[in-house]
Amino acid sequence: MKKDYVKFFDKGAFAMLLLLALAGILLVYSAGHSTHETHYLKQMAWLGVSLLAFLAVFSLKSEFVFRNALAAYLVLLAVLALQIVMGVTVARTRSWFRLGGIGLQFSEFVKVPLAVCLAKVLAQAESLDARAFLRTLALIFVPVALIVLQPDMGVSFILCGFVPLVLLLKKVRPALLVALALLLAGGAFVSWHGLLRPYQKERIVSFLDPVRYKDSSGYHIIQSRIAIGSGGLAGKGYLQGSQSRYQFLPARHTDFIISVIGEEFGFLGVSLLFFLFFVLFYRHLRFNFQNDEEFYFVYLFNGLILFQFLVNVSMAIGLFPVLGITLPFVSYGGSSLLSLFIGEAVIFRIKINEYLT
Amino acid sequence: MYLSKRKLTPEAVKRAAVVATVLLVVLFTVIFVAFWSIQVVRHQTYWDLAIRNITRRIDLPAPRGLIVDRSGVVMAENKINFTLYLVRENVTDMEKTLRRASFFSGKSAAAVRETVARYEKFASFYRIPIQSNVPQGTVIFIQSRQDEFPEFEIDMEPSRTFPLAESAAHVLGYVSEIGEAELAALPPGSAYALGDRVGRSGIESQYEAFLRGVKGQQTVITNSVEKVQQVSGVADPVIGDTVVLTLDMKLQRYIEDLLGEEGGVVGVMDLASGGLLALVVKPSFDPEVFSSELSRDEWLAISNDPRKPLQNKFLQGIYSPGSVFKIVMALTGLQEGQLAPEATVFCSGSQVFYDRVFHCWNPGGHGTMNLYSALQNSCNIYFYNLGRRLDIDTIARTARLLGLGEASGIDLPSEKTGLVPDSAWKLRALGQRWFPGETISVAIGHGQLNVTPAQMLKLIATVALRGRMPQPHLLQRIEQRGRTVREFTPRFTRVPIAEENFERVIEGLFRVVNEGGTGRAARVDGLDICGKTGTSQIITKENPQYQRLTREKRFMPHSWFVSFAPRENPRLAVVVLVENGGDAGSIAAPLAGQVYRRYFRDEEGLR
Repeated sequence: MKKDYVKFFDKGAFAMLLLLALAGILLVYSAGHSTHETHYLKQMAWLGVSLLAFLAVFSLKSEFVFRNALAAYLVLLAVLALQIVMGVTVARTRSWFRLGGIGLQFSEFVKVPLAVCLAKVLAQAESLDARAFLRTLALIFVPVALIVLQPDMGVSFILCGFVPLVLLLKKVRPALLVALALLLAGGAFVSWHGLLRPYQKERIVSFLDPVRYKDSSGYHIIQSRIAIGSGGLAGKGYLQGSQSRYQFLPARHTDFIISVIGEEFGFLGVSLLFFLFFVLFYRHLRFNFQNDEEFYFVYLFNGLILFQFLVNVSMAIGLFPVLGITLPFVSYGGSSLLSLFIGEAVIFRIKINEYLT
Repeated sequence: MYLSKRKLTPEAVKRAAVVATVLLVVLFTVIFVAFWSIQVVRHQTYWDLAIRNITRRIDLPAPRGLIVDRSGVVMAENKINFTLYLVRENVTDMEKTLRRASFFSGKSAAAVRETVARYEKFASFYRIPIQSNVPQGTVIFIQSRQDEFPEFEIDMEPSRTFPLAESAAHVLGYVSEIGEAELAALPPGSAYALGDRVGRSGIESQYEAFLRGVKGQQTVITNSVEKVQQVSGVADPVIGDTVVLTLDMKLQRYIEDLLGEEGGVVGVMDLASGGLLALVVKPSFDPEVFSSELSRDEWLAISNDPRKPLQNKFLQGIYSPGSVFKIVMALTGLQEGQLAPEATVFCSGSQVFYDRVFHCWNPGGHGTMNLYSALQNSCNIYFYNLGRRLDIDTIARTARLLGLGEASGIDLPSEKTGLVPDSAWKLRALGQRWFPGETISVAIGHGQLNVTPAQMLKLIATVALRGRMPQPHLLQRIEQRGRTVREFTPRFTRVPIAEENFERVIEGLFRVVNEGGTGRAARVDGLDICGKTGTSQIITKENPQYQRLTREKRFMPHSWFVSFAPRENPRLAVVVLVENGGDAGSIAAPLAGQVYRRYFRDEEGLR
């Protein structure tokens, strides 16, 4: 059986995962090079932790994972609620939780159990009736609300990405859709007038006219576009990007890491990175699942990564507001990397289940 | 199996995979196209923007050109000045920084705070000048502890220095930092930037365009907070041109010593060219105090001094010409045919005109006077009678022909014009017609008549040259690296007054000095000096307190002496004005005599 694990393991997809994470470390190093920052060392350590977690979760039976997902989900909600009450404030958010000197961003970990829980709800219903639909919405928006209060707009926005994914995977009655639309409009109204801080609002508005805000929030978009555009076809060379090296590019190691690739490796480098993502998604599309929960989970989780990827990349070229969303697997951030690897471990396990029985 | 049964049909799953694949391909294609358009299609635009982000051009100040006298004595040059700057972005504790800045500069913390506040709108990396002329000890202290004081920077820059201190300060003018308001008023693309120093008065201002030189430029690569990362190109600054003046500093300093503590003006003109050999204005000031930042108290002390040390009285001081104007009266009468030189007038000490008694300065009277003796003794009664025969507009016209009422045109900024009154002026300015009685006062240089010493020098020079009016000037030439790029060519204009009339007036002026006239104290043996005294009253003689008040220095009249020598082929014209000097004959005239003695002795020595 040990042999089967190795034989049927999707080594191609895993190679993509590893390449993306390693490229991330290389780019995080470049991003912090001029300012002598050591994020890349931490990221290397986090990759080690993530690989161990991958092995651990991969060795778990899918059945076990699916049975305990709800419990994990509830524990995370409790932690998030606790954080709001007594969390530490890091960079205007309380989403980071310091645990023995290591910062943990619990909101990132919601992704996997939430996807499992949603998959279970979707698998149980032929089509989404009002009750099931409300359950999915509750599953999504309770953590979203808690994370908004942290406040971490980036992660809460990404989790909202589950809503269109659910709608793509299941038929929903039009009346319910209208109700949802009204709910979202209401939520948007409340957020705009009650929840969003002025700097967050400005970020959203400045995306529409970055030049007008070029000295404040539009600055990010402008400098990111300059970085990417000036990279040209082949790039300026590793560690040679002036936008990155002379610190014109903001949030180089997190939100705008794609701009570092664009500047230093050009269109060719960006294309290679996109190719890695494409192959990873493509290889996860086809597999023999044992039950519907597995199917829905794989589609939901991949869909969520795709959503985050698209938002991040669009943001870097000014097609989307700057919301503080990182590039999956590549951007600096241990919690994000760990959470993604846990989710991938569940998928890789599902993909070999048929050969193990 | 766990949880649910499999309900999805294989077809549905296959369809999902196909839809998902199509969706993936479409989305990735869109992203590829978007990146292609930015990175390949519009690459050049963004490349240029990235380059613009990192390159900065830094101006390198150009050393100002030198100002030297006719024989090359340096009057204004440059020295290295260490300036202390504060950079806000490197400040960790502003209060501590202000205390340090106060300690280094010797200014109060409040004063430093005020300076910093003026640069509030500037980026935090901007270097705020705190103090110039930082002593070497402080420079070494700060530079050796740069890591302790990262918020301070010290820079060397050329600073204007005047080695002769107060000597000829009014000619040179001074240099000071350009103001924000001035910069805003300049047309875009001007060569000036905040912190630049610019000529404010005198030659420094007049020939600013030549003196300022051409700034150098350094192209540097900077990061997003403007920290210089590397230098990529340098264009060296070009020193300003050398301005060579007509002044002879030996003569200038001799006259400065002669004048001593007296306030006043002495101007010496070389009649061959119209160039000034000396231009002394007292009291003077040290122009170097303006080169570095002036404290409020220092500025108030200079600008509120009642003796007005900053004013160049040669061209900005307004005085009544007193009896010097009798030269103009005589020329008017002669030219108009209203004056026969030999015809006599009897002076009894006073005479009634238009129901009012007018006095001569000599209460005992001069007796019988003709033109020559009237000039010689400066007899008022003689000129009152001339004034009664002449029309004010005729007098004014001649006065203007001789350069009064208009700027002398000397190459210094902010010259005053004085005033030559006439009937049209009075109607315009006071709304009244001209009364003939006023002409009587004008005839001896009083009334509303006002002149500058520059005009008086030009007048006596014109008389000396028998109607050839010289253009007074200070510039000899401008040199660029030893090569003359501009040279002053002497200009003379012909005044439409007959030469013989000048000869007659000169005969009178000769007697003033050489035949026991009012200017006899100016006499130098072997030199035919011709001149005219003048007394410019501060308070009128009609004032009942006149005798008591004029014992006080500040109410004593100003004394004039205008002169030239020799009588034939004149070479030198001199104007002397001693403020509150009292009797012109006893103070201004002998001073002029010494100037001639010194000048011709030096010339003699050269031979």
